[in-house]
Amino acid sequence: MSIVVGSRRHTWIRAGLIYAALIALAFVFLLPLVWVLGLSLKTRTQVFSDPPLFLWWPTLENYYDVLTRADFLKAFVNTLIVSACAVGLSLGVGVPAAYAFARFPFKGSGLLFFALLVMRMLPPIAVLVPMYVLFSKIGLTTTHLSVVLAYSTFALPLVVWIMRGFFEDLPAELEESAWIDGASRFSAFRLVVLPLARPGMVAASILCLQLAWNDFLFAAVLTNNATQTLPVLMAGFSGGDSGVDWGGMTASGMLVILPVVLFSFAAQRHLVTGLSTGAVKG
Amino acid sequence: MGESGSATQPGLMPLAASGTARRSLHFSLDRYFTRLAILPTFVVMLGIFGIPLLYSLYLSFTGWNMQQGLFSGRLVGFDNYQDLLTDPVFINSVGVTLVFTAAAVAAQMGLGLGIALLLNVDLPFMRVLRTALVVPMMITPIVGALCWKLLLDPSHGLFNYWLGQKIIWLGSPGTALLAVWVVNVWHSTPYVALILLAGLRSLPSEPREAASIDGASQLQIFWHVTVPLLRPYLLVALLLRTIFEFRAFDNIYAMTGGGPANATMVLSMFTYLASFVSFDFSLGAAASWLMLLMSLVMCLFFIAVIRRRESY
Repeated sequence: MSIVVGSRRHTWIRAGLIYAALIALAFVFLLPLVWVLGLSLKTRTQVFSDPPLFLWWPTLENYYDVLTRADFLKAFVNTLIVSACAVGLSLGVGVPAAYAFARFPFKGSGLLFFALLVMRMLPPIAVLVPMYVLFSKIGLTTTHLSVVLAYSTFALPLVVWIMRGFFEDLPAELEESAWIDGASRFSAFRLVVLPLARPGMVAASILCLQLAWNDFLFAAVLTNNATQTLPVLMAGFSGGDSGVDWGGMTASGMLVILPVVLFSFAAQRHLVTGLSTGAVKG
Repeated sequence: MGESGSATQPGLMPLAASGTARRSLHFSLDRYFTRLAILPTFVVMLGIFGIPLLYSLYLSFTGWNMQQGLFSGRLVGFDNYQDLLTDPVFINSVGVTLVFTAAAVAAQMGLGLGIALLLNVDLPFMRVLRTALVVPMMITPIVGALCWKLLLDPSHGLFNYWLGQKIIWLGSPGTALLAVWVVNVWHSTPYVALILLAGLRSLPSEPREAASIDGASQLQIFWHVTVPLLRPYLLVALLLRTIFEFRAFDNIYAMTGGGPANATMVLSMFTYLASFVSFDFSLGAAASWLMLLMSLVMCLFFIAVIRRRESY
């Protein structure tokens, strides 16, 4: 870089411009969130003050109201249950398959893997229409299980995709020496491969958990008031526009995104892996 | 690898026989290891993907309603498809989807590349700025859309306060589509930026240094060295974003519900309304199959691009 840049003064101006551009962008990107966070800390009259208040003594009363509301807590628990179960199911089902895809290619494995990619990429509404009809005929709609199964349409391909890449990068010598030492394939998989695959499984679960937590479409169609998830509850706020309780709405919104944002920060380095899902290895 | 595994198997048999019954069971199961490992995934795929899609294909050729048995709908041939292709609302929604997808992806790619280039410079506090810039993509889309809805509120929104006007942003066709576009760009530009930043980080520095020693300007280096090297990453980001914008739903549902005057009626929204508001599942199935075919073309293209990269 030092070859390219001429004088010292030039460098300073350049750094200043880069900072200015990035800070301006960060301002735009964070504005909606910061503004809504501010609204959630205002009283009912402060929210609708005209002109808007930019300085005020923050109050937590909206958060207190939301956290004592039965439907919010119920939706929180529902979201937690279906997200965790979807991740658990996809890991349980998908990890052995990913191992087989990586180590023991069989006739038709290419085709099956291709079908998995297609499953991840097709529009979810296309699966949801027949899924709703079939589930309602067997009495599965409005249950947690229906949402968990629906979430597997994105969680399972993601798990298999990420884990296959992970297993391919693991040296095969480890299992081979376990086989030579007298381990069956099952025990080698359970005792040698799975412990080594833990980082990959963590990355895959984080990504699936984020997607499941944020999902709206599947949950909106497949749940009722008793089983609704947080995004569905949030969408209910936008129904009656004028009479909406902005304080409650913004405070719930902040509480919905808090876990997933914290979670994503903790796992930032896994995000890129998941976005490009094996397409870009780097 | 499968070969070397089975080659060691005969030698192991005496050892297994001397062990417990459980162990020998394990070894006899080894022959089925691959099949047993794949089976659960296969069953789940069939149950939640294969069978529903086939059923939806069948449904799209029937006139079916919720009161009927699963297979007792009257066969109507291509009537549903014909209804769709002569419905101005559906044709409009194909147009809206394509325009929206193209505009959103173009903006995300341009902005994402810019951000990635800025973040790739080695300066203090870059980690903090990167963290701030990736926040939107972590946010639950429904909540993100609601945040924007409050900013755009006609009477109490921040934007109208700054502009000193009372524009009803989501109430007229032009501004509604613009608003939905802004929100999608805001939400997904960080994906592009992160993929491209990963790409920039992985590029070798020698070609750029060589070019600058040869007297190339910064702009020339960017166009003739960086962009070609970054091409695989650009392609992946482009195709992923295209596939995901094509199915856009959450933001639009929360902000406009497809209105006003069908201005933001993307295909996902159309299919959703046909199926779950009008309860015409046959029409919804036909619309979703048309959507599937369109996105399948994009998927095949995408997978072909990945395959070509892997063969290098």
